[in-house]
Amino acid sequence: MSDRTEPTAAQLADWDTRFKSVTWTLLPNPPLAPRAQNAMDEVLLEEMAAGRRGPHVRFWNWQSKAVIIGRFQSVKNEVNQDAAAEAGITISRRMTGGGAMLVEPEGAITYTIAAPESLVAGMSFAESYQFFDSWVLGALRELGVDAWYVPLNDITSSGGKVGGAAQARKHGIALHHTTCAYSMAPGILTSILRIGKEKLSDKGVTSADKRVGPLRQQTDLDRDVIINHMIEYFRSRYGLQSDNFRAEEMIRLDQLVTEKYDTPEWVYALP
Amino acid sequence: MHGEYKTPGGKLVVVDFDVVDGRFKNMVISGDFFLYPEEELAPLTNALEGVDIELDDESFTERIRMDLHPETELMGTSPEGIVIAVRRALAGDEA
Repeated sequence: MSDRTEPTAAQLADWDTRFKSVTWTLLPNPPLAPRAQNAMDEVLLEEMAAGRRGPHVRFWNWQSKAVIIGRFQSVKNEVNQDAAAEAGITISRRMTGGGAMLVEPEGAITYTIAAPESLVAGMSFAESYQFFDSWVLGALRELGVDAWYVPLNDITSSGGKVGGAAQARKHGIALHHTTCAYSMAPGILTSILRIGKEKLSDKGVTSADKRVGPLRQQTDLDRDVIINHMIEYFRSRYGLQSDNFRAEEMIRLDQLVTEKYDTPEWVYALP
Repeated sequence: MHGEYKTPGGKLVVVDFDVVDGRFKNMVISGDFFLYPEEELAPLTNALEGVDIELDDESFTERIRMDLHPETELMGTSPEGIVIAVRRALAGDEA
């Protein structure tokens, strides 16, 4: 477990000011196919770049099980493809870097927070990761999870690793998404993901399973209760107005799934 | 050939390549690192393509560094980390 460091009071005050400097929208969370969820981030990033959408928070509902691999990961190095196919697990490549995540419909809490890059102007990449997840850490602590940030992009806790984040920076937009483990069948991680010795070399453990601390195990709360608490935590501090996807965004989503996220050229871009 | 290196406290970088006539061919660089902008993966991957495998580490590192745009952000690994993975692959250490 890495050393625990906390943001300074000055940092927290600065983050607070930044969060309050823009108007936030909460988007709905209909269940979508895994590849459509990944495509939705890109649709909304495009819409922001075009000035048609503002800063937003979006929770994801997964329609089916999936391994979401990072932009630069090789499928064969990360995924046991036979086991994944047998278990009905889709492989989906996201637009951001970072590591593979195994998600199940009720097993993960995933969200995106996106804003103009100016919101994190002057911050290091590392600080911006902490900034964008700071409200989630606050909400989790209120629920009794002793959670903290491990740079660059991990949320951990006294009960084990909770989640990981990744960011896209494109067209002047910072899009940050995070997946937290809510519940996980024992052994599923190691049967589907190929986690070699080298990857665990600096973790002080020999099994990826032992590193994870799913939130249900730590709180005994329903997934929806945790999500609602995160939303209310954000809303009460920074404001959050509910909005819907526009028809044009849903059309673009279908298009982007067909043209990119569903294609072997993208999924197996690094075979 | 296949080699991996995880920067302590950082990310994993994986290299896969062939050696043809003493030179790197079909180099693929992958891993859970972060790279901005993402389009820089191609120059990163091409940096060692066709390079003599007998060159020293500094030469490999320099090639990679030269091929990256100065404003590229590579996080979690580094040209040095990539070269360690390459060395491991050449040594047949699959670790």
